[in-house]
Amino acid sequence: MDEDDPKEYRWETGYEKTWEAIKEDHEGFLETSVADIILRAKRKRQAQKHGNTKLGMMRHLYVILDCSESMSSQDLKPTRMLCTLKILEGFIEEFFDQNPISQMGIILMHNKRAEKASDLGGNFRKHIKYIKTLNKTNLVGEPSLQNGLEVALSSLKLLPSHASREILVVMGSLTTCDPTDINNTIEKLKQEGIRCSIIGLAAEVHVCRTLANETKGTYNVILDDAHFKDLLFQQVEPPPAANALESSLIKMGFPHQMNAEGTDEPLTMCMCHVDSVDDSSKLTTGGYYCPQCLSKYCELPVECRACGLTLVSAPHLARSYHHLFPVANFEELPFNNQANICYACQKTFTDTEKWVYQCPTCTRVFCIDCDIFVHDTLHTCPGCATNLSTFQITNT
Amino acid sequence: MVLSMQKSFERFYLKKMNNIELRTENEPDVSSTDETSLLVIIIDTNPTQKLLRDKASQLTTVVDSVIAFANSHLMQKAQNKLAIMACHSKTSQFVYPGPRKPVDVRQVDGQYEIFLQVEKTVKQNLSLLLASENSTIATESLLAGAIAMALCYIARIQRTKSAGIKLNSRILIVSGSGDSASQYMNYMNVFFTAQKQNVVLDVCTLDQHLSLLQQGCDITNGLYLKVPQVSALLQFLLWVFLPEPPIREKLVLPPPVKVDYRAACFCHRELIDIGYVCSVCLSIFCKFSPICTTCHTVFKIPGPLAVKSKKKKMKL
Repeated sequence: MDEDDPKEYRWETGYEKTWEAIKEDHEGFLETSVADIILRAKRKRQAQKHGNTKLGMMRHLYVILDCSESMSSQDLKPTRMLCTLKILEGFIEEFFDQNPISQMGIILMHNKRAEKASDLGGNFRKHIKYIKTLNKTNLVGEPSLQNGLEVALSSLKLLPSHASREILVVMGSLTTCDPTDINNTIEKLKQEGIRCSIIGLAAEVHVCRTLANETKGTYNVILDDAHFKDLLFQQVEPPPAANALESSLIKMGFPHQMNAEGTDEPLTMCMCHVDSVDDSSKLTTGGYYCPQCLSKYCELPVECRACGLTLVSAPHLARSYHHLFPVANFEELPFNNQANICYACQKTFTDTEKWVYQCPTCTRVFCIDCDIFVHDTLHTCPGCATNLSTFQITNT
Repeated sequence: MVLSMQKSFERFYLKKMNNIELRTENEPDVSSTDETSLLVIIIDTNPTQKLLRDKASQLTTVVDSVIAFANSHLMQKAQNKLAIMACHSKTSQFVYPGPRKPVDVRQVDGQYEIFLQVEKTVKQNLSLLLASENSTIATESLLAGAIAMALCYIARIQRTKSAGIKLNSRILIVSGSGDSASQYMNYMNVFFTAQKQNVVLDVCTLDQHLSLLQQGCDITNGLYLKVPQVSALLQFLLWVFLPEPPIREKLVLPPPVKVDYRAACFCHRELIDIGYVCSVCLSIFCKFSPICTTCHTVFKIPGPLAVKSKKKKMKL
């Protein structure tokens, strides 16, 4: 499982006494100890995050989904496929929540073929709707990893150089049936600077390990469904920008609602639904108008169909700023009556408290729950934000 | 003004009465004893805000109105919870429930003890806070930080509540200070967190128009109201902010103001329609510049288009 040294397998490493980490508390329960381990794992992951690294913020991600026979296996409940789809749904929502101006596409692999199921797009509703229809697909034949990668490559190749390009493979099968040598495809992907990450549902496969190592992606094999979810959601964070990534200024439009004072807006149709068959466009009043060509859209972000301008709203961009300016990691200190209460949630510290957490900038003391909440969700230190000398984010 | 207010009050009550009738007909017993609503009120007590510089006694009006409003919230249901914060010039703190031991109160004139306790605690903690004020330098109110603390508090209540109880939380901000762009990032972070945690953000501004907080209200489906006169604050609070968010859609409330979501460019702080965005750090600029001022990235300059035509001319 460890990525540091790919040559060493877990069974070759030293003898780990994993059960010794779990201790009973004074009432004889294990729960506190287990909860402690989970919190510690969360903190460890946070500690690895660094600010100021260049991140690939405009992500273009292809999810390649194995739809071969092996996905009907029942080791994940109810089947591998249904479990994957359920988790994937949550992932898509979270992905677009954290990466609002990114795009995603889905490719299916079955019967030795790869099929582009949905094109790169920024509308998460469309993807989720598609994922929901997938539970009736036939799971037949073997997958072809090479075909899947080639389809993704052909589409990602055309993107501008400032885009961060990624492939995420969910692989249930232990075999792949390829037309030619897959190493050539891996070499091509490496040259293009496309990052490939793989999540294996069965066991470690050499070709997947090579692919991930060569393209600077990650390769993990799941333990159970909770671990699967955890691994998939790690892909939500934008990765560090690849070296080949060029930076450029991108022209964008910021639409605002048109309204002349005192008059009602005319009834118009929006461009996003004008030619869709299943839910046809209705005449509505509100909407967002492209500042360049005045086409109307009912939701943002979207690429203008008429003039190609990317339309976003300012909060969409602001949603991803916290990746660039993360909160400093809090120091873990043994509880020594530094404070009576947690500065943020007002919890009274009692003697059962072992550790407290201190922000290095504002030196306020927090409880462990607030430490996790601040770093996972809030992304603003309440102590710094209420202090006049520290409220502005300084690490620009 | 008074007439129109009265009219809207009448409409409000009429509609409310209709609703009650409808409810008794359609859904006779939806007893929601397992639902609790937590209201966190943030009062801006910064002495340098314009409202208080003009007339310091207005703070008394504001605090009295808020206490009366808070008690009405507690009165609505026995399970309702309350927290009041003061956002002061240098710090923000909870004034109810305060950091100290709760004040012991005895019933006076038949008033419900908890109401008296709210009033006593808030006034005691506020006077301590105001007494500690010693500088006269004008500072901005750090409302974003106060909201961040409130969100942590709400998260704790959410964590420690007993299973099976539904907790609806909202935050009400009562402020008379102006907007400041320097807190933009903190504001956005708290807005999105509130949205994720299903916390409704209501804003009642007493003096100036707050466009950033207005965006927050829009993001979290809260209400934004600029009170025309401070003396009528209590009436506005009871009318607009007392009903729970699910009930609000059935009431006649001030129409939502259209929110301006245009971006302000980082170079001139002007609102723009079309701008350039850095692909590395997503900073917004109104003109093309070769280096990003935020992350110091050097951009690829789009090649001049005129080169091709020149070559053609040379060949000719």
